[in-house]
Amino acid sequence: MRKRLNKWTALVTVGAMTMTLLSGCQKAAPTDGTGQTSKAEETTQTAAQTTTAEEKKDSADAGSTPRNETLYFNGQQWGTINDWNPLSSNSNNAMAITQQDNARVIVYETLFMYNMLDGKLYGLLGKDYSWNDGQTELTITLNPDAKWSDQTPVTAQDVAYTFDCHKKYATAQGSDYSNYIDSVVAKDDHTVIFKAKLDDKGLPVNPLKVVEYVPKIYVMQKAYLQKVEQRNGNDADKIKQDRMDDFVASGPYKSYYNDDQKVVFVRDDNYWGKALWGKLPAPKYITHVIYENNAAGDTAFKSGEVDVSQQFITNVQKLWEEDGLPISTYIDEAPYGVCATMPTAFFNVEKPGLDRKEVRKAIAMAVDYDQIIASAMSNQSPSFKDVPRSIMNPTSGEQALVNQDALKDYQFTGNDVEGAKALLDKAGIVDKDGDGIREIDGKNLNFKAECPDGWTDWNASLEIVAAAGSKIGIGIETYFPDANTFYDDMTTRKFDICMWNPPAASVANPWGRAMAFMSTDYAGLKVNWTGNYGGYINEDANNLLKKIPLETNKDTLKEYYTELSRIYLDEVPSFSLMYRPMLFHAVNESVWTGFPQLDDGDNIPPTDCTDGYGIAALYNLVNVK
Amino acid sequence: MGYKKYYTNKIIWYLITLVIAVVLNFILPRLMPGDPVSAIAARAVDGMTDSTAIQAVYEDYAEKFGVNLPMSTQFLIFIKNALRGDFGVSFSQYPRTVGNIIASSVWWTVCLQLPAILLGWILGNVLGAVSAYKKGIFDKGVLPVFLFMSNVPAFGMATVLLYVFSLKLGLAPSSGGYGFDLIPSASITFFRSVLAHYQLPFWSVVLITVGGQAIGMRSMSIYELNADYVKYSRFMGIKDRKIVGYVFRNAMLPQITGLAMSIGTMIGGALVAEIIFSYPGLGTTLLAAVKGRDYPLISACTLIITIMVLLANLFVELIYGVIDPRIKAAQQD
Repeated sequence: MRKRLNKWTALVTVGAMTMTLLSGCQKAAPTDGTGQTSKAEETTQTAAQTTTAEEKKDSADAGSTPRNETLYFNGQQWGTINDWNPLSSNSNNAMAITQQDNARVIVYETLFMYNMLDGKLYGLLGKDYSWNDGQTELTITLNPDAKWSDQTPVTAQDVAYTFDCHKKYATAQGSDYSNYIDSVVAKDDHTVIFKAKLDDKGLPVNPLKVVEYVPKIYVMQKAYLQKVEQRNGNDADKIKQDRMDDFVASGPYKSYYNDDQKVVFVRDDNYWGKALWGKLPAPKYITHVIYENNAAGDTAFKSGEVDVSQQFITNVQKLWEEDGLPISTYIDEAPYGVCATMPTAFFNVEKPGLDRKEVRKAIAMAVDYDQIIASAMSNQSPSFKDVPRSIMNPTSGEQALVNQDALKDYQFTGNDVEGAKALLDKAGIVDKDGDGIREIDGKNLNFKAECPDGWTDWNASLEIVAAAGSKIGIGIETYFPDANTFYDDMTTRKFDICMWNPPAASVANPWGRAMAFMSTDYAGLKVNWTGNYGGYINEDANNLLKKIPLETNKDTLKEYYTELSRIYLDEVPSFSLMYRPMLFHAVNESVWTGFPQLDDGDNIPPTDCTDGYGIAALYNLVNVK
Repeated sequence: MGYKKYYTNKIIWYLITLVIAVVLNFILPRLMPGDPVSAIAARAVDGMTDSTAIQAVYEDYAEKFGVNLPMSTQFLIFIKNALRGDFGVSFSQYPRTVGNIIASSVWWTVCLQLPAILLGWILGNVLGAVSAYKKGIFDKGVLPVFLFMSNVPAFGMATVLLYVFSLKLGLAPSSGGYGFDLIPSASITFFRSVLAHYQLPFWSVVLITVGGQAIGMRSMSIYELNADYVKYSRFMGIKDRKIVGYVFRNAMLPQITGLAMSIGTMIGGALVAEIIFSYPGLGTTLLAAVKGRDYPLISACTLIITIMVLLANLFVELIYGVIDPRIKAAQQD
């Protein structure tokens, strides 16, 4: 009796647990890309199964989006979206609203699209643009085909009213651009004039910032904006917080579904852009699952649940070389992508010790950049031997604006410990008390190098900076606080050495990046979010920075940028640790193929098929047969 | 009369604790270093170049969030609004309200954690009691296995389950609360998908809960099994099943306390499963709030935890009076 009870209980306890675990699970999607046939079969099956459901509902929030009609993303949307309002500064709706140098144009559209590969603007809602002689007026002709999702035409009045609203309601964009753009006036239905703000001498304050607006700020419909104003009683705060769930936009996709786990867009088959592109974008749906962290996003990418990954993947080449997955990048070999930004270590030049350029340069000379690139970036960056230092990113457009020959004497490529020691010795900065750390005025040179916790490649980079310090007798300790503490330290200059990204590629760069490295204006900010975090002041550099936006002669610009780069490399107010893609762009071609590739002749930048001219990629995609 | 005095005392003490906890919930997050306006301002001013405009945006947010006001004023506003169930607007997800954020995530946590804790607790207690009473394979085989598992850190267990059952065997999805290609609907496909996504997070909690509960129950049961009343019952020829019933009931008291504590702290406990499996819920919401210095969201989340712990404890203390009259009697002395 007792034995029987014993057996029965054992069976129930262990058996029940195992069975529940197994029975509750269902076979998930194949986890490796080697099973392409099964994936294709599954796709077909899924498509067949869901077709009927799709037909039945379409407008209902039910069912699924067929895998072979849906393009999946990761690395763009983190957390639940807040709104669909381009006037808000915290929409947290990255796939729909990202008004930056290469604006994301799948839902809302800009006048032009920026292409970082050639540095040119391509028409979208706008057709062409031209400056008058004094660069006081920028005239833009609109694309006559452009229509809103309600099929009314996009007019110059819409463009003008959008700017007026930004200015009137003091949005972040309005507060900034109203310092450079005086007004936007509709000349007729299809011609709009951006009038630059003029200084006391009648010269435009900054024509570069006027042009920067064009590929960056979405055009909104005047009639819809007036509706939003009306329902919010013209209250600025309420208007900026309006969710705009009923938004009217001009882009190829509209909202389909969203919750705290995903955001789904559906193609607008009446999209006006058929006239511009010759066809509709290939994916019917665009979905971004909201992953908790990079690891979860990577797992989904490897298993084929994500097509386009905007996440840094260590040793990305191993995914196709060793794991045999159908994954590729814009370039088949290192650095695998187009590096357009340069994560940089900024020195707080007000700190005793770091106020000496010999100390700053010695640290920069001693850092082993090849190790940073090989380990922290897993070779996804060209080295400083391949692309010598300047204030330019490695793109050909920017490199053409600097004379590298003139900078040869100022270059440093890293791991030059002896050179760094000699520089310090020559400056009389030596270790007098024999504790291994050099002193200035009897005080040891000890510094903290910081960046946010969990940014693993950056953390690893600063560890290498710290190691370089110890080799040349300068104590550098790494410090990785949470992001908010770091922001506070960086923006209020409570750091010794901090790491941050200067601006990447845009129509206003490299000027914007040069400002971020050396602008005296930024140095004086009480809370500095913009650049030159270490407070470096150099009037010569500042004068050049003021001249550049007004200069149109390319040779003169090259002269200015070369001189700025010379000052930068000589004075080392900050130093870049690596080159880095503006957006990571790896694609899993188990369902979709036809993504942009270097030298494919299409000139489409690897901006995840969504940003700036990169959206052209959506029209080239095809299903894997 | 005895019960009334016992309950009144308890409730008064719990109310005092609640008041102190609310004050601490409000003050402690605000003592953390770091500026709550930083993160949102960082996003807002990205790409801006005019220093005056940047400063204006920053100050606008500081004013909107009320972080420039004296802490006492902020506290009074917080209490006034909280009493109406309004926890204000989140800093990090501005302009979403705290209530909206919590409402969208709390049910995922409750539906994941509550059944997992209860099942872990039940299985653990059954296993502990059976191990103590039957010994053999339970005591020497099953219990040590679960003890081993309970000593695996939560993130380790979750990672192992993810690796084995999702990545290697392909038996379960790796992340999310439902299929990556689905849109929520009242369909069998969706329900099955939710169930499939539920498995790994669920078992990652259950498996590490069982051992701890079992070992406690086993010790208590062995103690009870050696008690005079058990021996006496056996001499009387009372059936095993009946005796196990007595032993169980007496050994249960500390276990009920453990259960109440687990339920009270389930929001924090859900964090690991939520992070590893990208499962929606309040744990990650709280973590993001702490990282983002989102005072209103932190205060609301910690207030929920506080109230749940207090209610769970109060419930246990009240029920103790019923389960074991000796406790009520002792309290009344």
